[in-house]
Amino acid sequence: MVYKTRYLPRIKKVLVHLCLNGHLNWYDPQKRKSIHLALTQPTLLIDVLDQLHVPIAEIVVGVVNGKTVVSLNDLIVTDTDKVELYPPVDGG
Amino acid sequence: MLKGTSGKILRVDLTRGTIETQQIDEEFYRLYPGGKALAAYFLLRELPKGTEPFSPENILILANGVLTGAPFSTATRFTAVARSPLTLGFGESEAGGFWGPELKMAGWEAIIIKGRAPRPVYLWIQNDQVEIRDALDLWGQEPEFVQNKIREIHNDKLIRVLQIGIAGENLVRYAAIENELCHFNGRTGMGAVMGSKNLRAVAVRGNSKYLDWANDPKPIAALGRNLAKRVKEHPRSWDLQDKGTISLVESLNAAGMLPTRNFRQGVFDQVDKVKWAAYEKQLLTARGSCYACAIRCKREVALDDRYQVSHAYGGPEYETVDGFGPNCGIDDLQAIAKANELVNRYGLDSISCSATIAFAMECFEHDLIGLKETGGIDLRFGNASAMITMVDRIAKRQGLGDLLAEGTRRAAEVIGGDAKHFAIQVKGQELAMHDPRGKAGVGLGYAINEAGADHLTAPHDTMVIDPESIGYKAAIPLGVQVVPARELSERKVSNYAVLENWTSAGKVMGICFFGPAPRSFIGLDELVGALRAATGWDVSIDEILQIGERATNLARAFNVREGFTRKDDKLPERMFAPLENGVLQGVAILKSDFERTMTQLYVRKGWDPETGAPTRERLRALNIDWVADLLGL
Repeated sequence: MVYKTRYLPRIKKVLVHLCLNGHLNWYDPQKRKSIHLALTQPTLLIDVLDQLHVPIAEIVVGVVNGKTVVSLNDLIVTDTDKVELYPPVDGG
Repeated sequence: MLKGTSGKILRVDLTRGTIETQQIDEEFYRLYPGGKALAAYFLLRELPKGTEPFSPENILILANGVLTGAPFSTATRFTAVARSPLTLGFGESEAGGFWGPELKMAGWEAIIIKGRAPRPVYLWIQNDQVEIRDALDLWGQEPEFVQNKIREIHNDKLIRVLQIGIAGENLVRYAAIENELCHFNGRTGMGAVMGSKNLRAVAVRGNSKYLDWANDPKPIAALGRNLAKRVKEHPRSWDLQDKGTISLVESLNAAGMLPTRNFRQGVFDQVDKVKWAAYEKQLLTARGSCYACAIRCKREVALDDRYQVSHAYGGPEYETVDGFGPNCGIDDLQAIAKANELVNRYGLDSISCSATIAFAMECFEHDLIGLKETGGIDLRFGNASAMITMVDRIAKRQGLGDLLAEGTRRAAEVIGGDAKHFAIQVKGQELAMHDPRGKAGVGLGYAINEAGADHLTAPHDTMVIDPESIGYKAAIPLGVQVVPARELSERKVSNYAVLENWTSAGKVMGICFFGPAPRSFIGLDELVGALRAATGWDVSIDEILQIGERATNLARAFNVREGFTRKDDKLPERMFAPLENGVLQGVAILKSDFERTMTQLYVRKGWDPETGAPTRERLRALNIDWVADLLGL
């Protein structure tokens, strides 16, 4: 019996770099300011944040690959995206 | 019977060398329960109209709040009040640290200081023993030396020393008062008033405990334990411990409103060199605290590199990082740390000092001043060594520093030409590092505040822009609404007015801005509970808001009597010009919108929208009819 090896197509990970600024990294159990994620596919950012338990209500500015994004609700993160998130800040 | 306080006020006349005690009663204290309220009451009652700020007749009042010294986080603040040499109006500045609680434990609520000593002195307070002592050997010395010397003289390392530096001795109009070398009554030049009295320091040692005066100590002690556990359980208090205020640099930059190059721009290209990650790596050595506070928001730094920076004077916080950094076009964090050490060593307000240097840089850029005026210093934006040299010259009033020591408004009048457009100030006090073009309520606060541009009159707009945010949810009992940060409207006025009263109440009670919601983690009901437990009063949030509003109206009345009107409640012209870069490029405040909103704010506060003065009706509602009589309303 000859068995032919079947190679399954490699699933390409979607690698995203998430930066949690200000008090946002409090929500990560490990308090990471910088998180490298390997997603299985391009994903809505709000779904990513939901998985990480970072509330969107605490984010006032998002910068994706150096450009400020007006609305995060419909933003889909794709491979090699760097997403910097900032909270609303008060004085001190 | 009076609870929550000893009720004792120390009265010192430095001209006559006399020391007296005044006892206040419960009826008085319920209206003016310490801090800003008590200090404003006595300043308005006892300071004659038109008193020169540097004359012996000016009165310096150091007042604890009713909760100052209570053993729970953020109950540490005291207020310094006098007629300001910078604005010529109501001068006011709060500080934390350890001095206020120690004064409380010595059995004193406040100190009222009049006159001028014939030669340098310091005040020594050990419980009810008070002396005016010679300070000739301390005058001209650095604060670390003075603090150590006083502790050595009295053989007690736990003495808490409040003092000025040489900037106060030299009457720099924005000289600060400091305690424990790194806690500051920074704004409005209270250090210069103290210097004008030849008063170098006030040293205190007390043996009582706050809970000795509390009506019901157990809930206060329980709150202390509870808050100590919860600091890390709330994102905002945790963040204050983790990063202090430094991460505001990158957050405000991303939002397009980081004051840059004298407020011309909102984004600094080199922000990566001065943000929290760089600070933590290059400067941070420890996190410091105030009395009984578990937050530990203070940064401690030390350097032995291109600059030598002593750890004794604390590390720069956000205002100083941006003020000496991006707002001067500077990306050198080590130079910023050195500037911070110098302002603390000399006793200068870092906000006014850095803003004045930024002003001078813009004048230099526009050839309004040149190398002749700067003494050969290339005072361009971005020149860190020039910035550090100017801090030194300002403190010592040398060369151009002598003019800059007067503040941007006076300096602009002398320089002439377009210089007045580069003076980013209100009523003579320089703006803090928060841009009203990004946060409209901050602009209302800058304009209307009796002490000039102050960024801590109310929690900022950004705390209540999302109904699901922790800030908004915690502020719901105050009746706030969700309003976008840059909106100017009736509902913004409504938010600002109630939040201003809440913050003002904090200044009366002696509670730090970093404690209560919506800024941080202490619930409104918890502060109500603490006040009830301390005093035995059946207070509500409404009464607390009224306490805050009363304090603001007393301070406003002082300014009205000194001739301030609505005309003085205006933002610098730059705020009506567009930001030059970033996500808010092109954004400016529309002057007509701002004036309309200010009118709405006066009406909301019960003030005359034409003159800006409180009305008799409002003063009566606040149980301070006597103020209306005083003003002839």
